[in-house]
Amino acid sequence: MDRAEIIRVLRAFEASGLEYVLIGAAAMGFHGLVRATEDLDVLIRATPENVERLRTALREAYEGDPHIEEIAADDLLGEYPAVRYYPPTGDLYLDVLTRLGEAARFEDVDAETREIEGTRVRVATPAALYRLKRATVRAIDHQDAAALRERFNLKDDA
Amino acid sequence: MRVQKFRSIQDMNLAPVSPSRRPDFERFLRHCAQYWKIAPKVYPRGVFKFRSIEEAEKARGSR
Repeated sequence: MDRAEIIRVLRAFEASGLEYVLIGAAAMGFHGLVRATEDLDVLIRATPENVERLRTALREAYEGDPHIEEIAADDLLGEYPAVRYYPPTGDLYLDVLTRLGEAARFEDVDAETREIEGTRVRVATPAALYRLKRATVRAIDHQDAAALRERFNLKDDA
Repeated sequence: MRVQKFRSIQDMNLAPVSPSRRPDFERFLRHCAQYWKIAPKVYPRGVFKFRSIEEAEKARGSR
């Protein structure tokens, strides 16, 4: 995962006005719980306008990639709430979500604004991450949830 | 970096870990960069659609 590429993507998100929140290992990283990852997990507000903002941001970050046009509001707002985008750089990929199961949508996830190199980044709060991660099936998410609970003294009703 | 000495592994495990002065997200980025150096991957290109995050996870696992 290339540092400059991540910053470029986050900057493009901000410039496009995308309504999003980071929810994966990158969000954990902002909270001081550092582990490696290959992807950026991004939960976005599920509106056609916001999906267009996402495409605008990705066009800015990955100029000329025709695959970006395959990201469609009809999918993300309909039958396919999870879209994985592999950019041409090949260093990382983005998991873009409009809902997580039936429980979590953008509106349900508490977020805070952090900053890196002058770029504002919306990051799920530790409690919100904990709620998301304890509800999933992956072992790594359970480890993340345990780390969040310990670091931030979170309770199960967090 | 200063050297710490311990009489046992137990003492070593009890010693406080000095917090990094580097911002948390910077540490995350450096960690991911190291991971990439050790275990680079070859990804496909393009856009893949999934009906659920679980389905997306399965696809990742089968790659």
